[in-house]
Amino acid sequence: MKPTLTLGPVLFNWPAERWRDFYARIADEAPVDAVVVGEIVCSKRAPFLAPVMDEVIARLAAAGKEVWLASPILVGSDRERAAMRDLLESDLLPIEANDMGALALLDGRRHAVGPFINSYNEATLAWLAGRGAVAVSLPAELPAASVAVMAKTGAALGLSMEVQVFGRAPLAISARCYHARAHALHKDGCQFVCANDPDGMPVSTVDGQPFLSVNGTQTLSHGYLALAAEIDRLRAMGIRRFRLSPQDLDMVAVATAFRAVLDGARSGQEVMAELRGMTAVPLENGFFHNMAGAAYADAPAA
Amino acid sequence: MRDPGFMVQDQAHETAPDPRARDVEVQLTRAGLGVARRLGDRAGGLLFDRLLRILEARHPRAFAALGELPDARLLIDPVDAPAALLLRVGPTLALRVCDRSAEAEATVRGPCARLLDLLEGRIDGDALFFRRELSIEGDTALILALRNTLDGEEMDLFGDVAAAAGPLRHALPVARRNAGRALDLLATARRFAPPPLRWGMTMLERRLTGPRQGA
Amino acid sequence: MSSFELICPAGSPAALRAAVDAGADAVYLGFRDETNARNFPGLNFSRPELAEAIAYAHARSVQVFVAINTYPQAGNLAPWQRAVDDAARLKADAVILADLGLLAYAAEHHPELRLHLSVQASAANAEAIRLYREAFGVRRVVLPRVLTVPEIARLNAEVDVETEVFVFGGLCPMAEGRCSLSSYATGLSPNKQGVCSPASHVRYEPRGEALASRLGGFTINVFGAGEPAGYPTLCKGRFVPGGGTSSDPAYLFEEPTSLNALALLPELKAAKVCALKIEGRQRGKAYIAAVVAAYRRALDAFDRGLPVPALDLEAMVEGGAQTTGAYTRAWR
Repeated sequence: MKPTLTLGPVLFNWPAERWRDFYARIADEAPVDAVVVGEIVCSKRAPFLAPVMDEVIARLAAAGKEVWLASPILVGSDRERAAMRDLLESDLLPIEANDMGALALLDGRRHAVGPFINSYNEATLAWLAGRGAVAVSLPAELPAASVAVMAKTGAALGLSMEVQVFGRAPLAISARCYHARAHALHKDGCQFVCANDPDGMPVSTVDGQPFLSVNGTQTLSHGYLALAAEIDRLRAMGIRRFRLSPQDLDMVAVATAFRAVLDGARSGQEVMAELRGMTAVPLENGFFHNMAGAAYADAPAA
Repeated sequence: MRDPGFMVQDQAHETAPDPRARDVEVQLTRAGLGVARRLGDRAGGLLFDRLLRILEARHPRAFAALGELPDARLLIDPVDAPAALLLRVGPTLALRVCDRSAEAEATVRGPCARLLDLLEGRIDGDALFFRRELSIEGDTALILALRNTLDGEEMDLFGDVAAAAGPLRHALPVARRNAGRALDLLATARRFAPPPLRWGMTMLERRLTGPRQGA
Repeated sequence: MSSFELICPAGSPAALRAAVDAGADAVYLGFRDETNARNFPGLNFSRPELAEAIAYAHARSVQVFVAINTYPQAGNLAPWQRAVDDAARLKADAVILADLGLLAYAAEHHPELRLHLSVQASAANAEAIRLYREAFGVRRVVLPRVLTVPEIARLNAEVDVETEVFVFGGLCPMAEGRCSLSSYATGLSPNKQGVCSPASHVRYEPRGEALASRLGGFTINVFGAGEPAGYPTLCKGRFVPGGGTSSDPAYLFEEPTSLNALALLPELKAAKVCALKIEGRQRGKAYIAAVVAAYRRALDAFDRGLPVPALDLEAMVEGGAQTTGAYTRAWR
């Protein structure tokens, strides 16, 4: 089976025009098979994207991409619930559920389970598959041993199993906005300060060591998770989908590089070297290797 | 998950003796450590082995848990006492008096009274970390394991030892009840006594405290 | 009839007796392994200890809930399933679960066992809660600490499930069960191993008069001379927003503060909350005795329509401020 390269949703607060242009270029140039779109971090940002959403979806679909709509990560407030319901009312596109509420509303419909639903073991996969999930994207913190078991069970259940192979690892979600808090603002009057940091706001330790990245209510890793050198191993386990999470760098180049690894045209190590040349942000793969997520372990040369 | 904002004082009214009685116990402990060190490794070792056996008989759950820990040494250093204690946890559980520079995987350092609270599980687990008067070095997990294990017991170091030691079983509650008054008297006497007599009192204290600690 | 059930933590048999004696309506606890979210060294219950605990509590008309609220490890489901089996066999009054697969197992194998949804499942909306009710027969949901009281009230109007909320103790600023900060720094996480910012990865480092607390390879805080030191729970540390040394270190995620929702009792009652929960299975028995007794006095006064006494915890609580957390909108 041909592996699928998936582009996850843009997590950051990009201006609508930039967001639209980004996807236009993805549609025209990026060798990705599937694209997941939607504002999943903050419901306050969603209205800005709404005017260009249809255009983006049409453009991606016209380019032959499989387009998915992602549901928000945290749904608690009335506004968030309303947004989730609106999203799920339309049945034009398949949905990737990131919250159990969305999963509830998708009963009987073909859907994907996103990385923000806690899928930690084969028993959970069986339950999800029984409710109509066709694909499951695994949480970033799962180590290789768990991924292997779940890839195998997932395949037997008819699930297309996915692992994130590039981009900052999502680490936490909150009702509180840390971008607003860092600027001494309240979430209700946030002035959309998160837009100042299109790749996340860097957070360092007291000693000045880079550590985390804040994206509104979301906290991400400082480093980019990068599993280019682990792709062969993931494929051998039975992983079928490989997710790239958009960052503020040339994502067409990133997608092209990962595509080449999937096609067997380039080695993972070679692509890791190319990625290092594209960004000063460190590359990390600790979660997969059962270490601290912030760590980097040399994968054995393929 | 943890909340570093809290500092919880030991709850004197629960299991602890009267605070004045605790003063007496602190003094006894300090004196006892001094005596034990002078006794040397063999006699001192026998003393502490006996102490551990008494506690083990009364707190099998805690001792089973300490025995299950990986082999490690914890230095317990009461800064206001003449010597420190080295607790070895794991399969070969042992307690020895030692020099305060002894090598260990983890060290807890602080005033004698605080460390007694710690040993008896009377300080809240997290509070242990917040008090700057207690300093922690090395393996934090080992210290936490010990503290959690002891907190799971209703441990009363002096009460337990006294209960196992015949006559003291009756003497200790009385001593605790009267501790305040006795201390006042001792302090007053010391203040007014001429130097030779003061020296005599110290000797008297030592004589009293030595056997009691080792009982 | 009491307005609320008071649900209290216990990390050891001694703590359980303290909670029961101080006036708990129910005590929650876990087995001594990775199946629960307070898997700290020296804490928790063996099977015989659970049996004794249940006997002690039931003799005093107090319930015992067993938290099995981590996410079972792929390829190694047995310890979690056995924990559910043993809790049922030993007649626990409920199990507190988070994982979908484990909920399905419990619902299938122990249809009589009362299921509570752990806060670690982070079910924050009516749609999600109804799903857990319909799929597994969940009877009670411990709500994540992301909702305001008005949101809780609207939620209770929509679902046929009891709700339990945290009222006192530590406060996760992140949605529970959806946080990998600890494993990012240490490799060990609440979801997988039942630990957050584990002591095995904590080191205190003197820096002159100051004291640095480190977790994994990262400095989580530096305390000045005389400043009370904190445990380096990752989200309660001081960091530099903007990176580098662009600004002064600040409590970016949460201050070293503690939840206390006592002032919200009337609102929580009007919101039809069923049970109030005290956090702190990792805390000492002295702390548990004091907090449970104070809450018991407050709830008894509240039920009789008397003014609710301020918690007499000032004597034992120092340093940190108290907050009503996410229950009031300003927190966000």
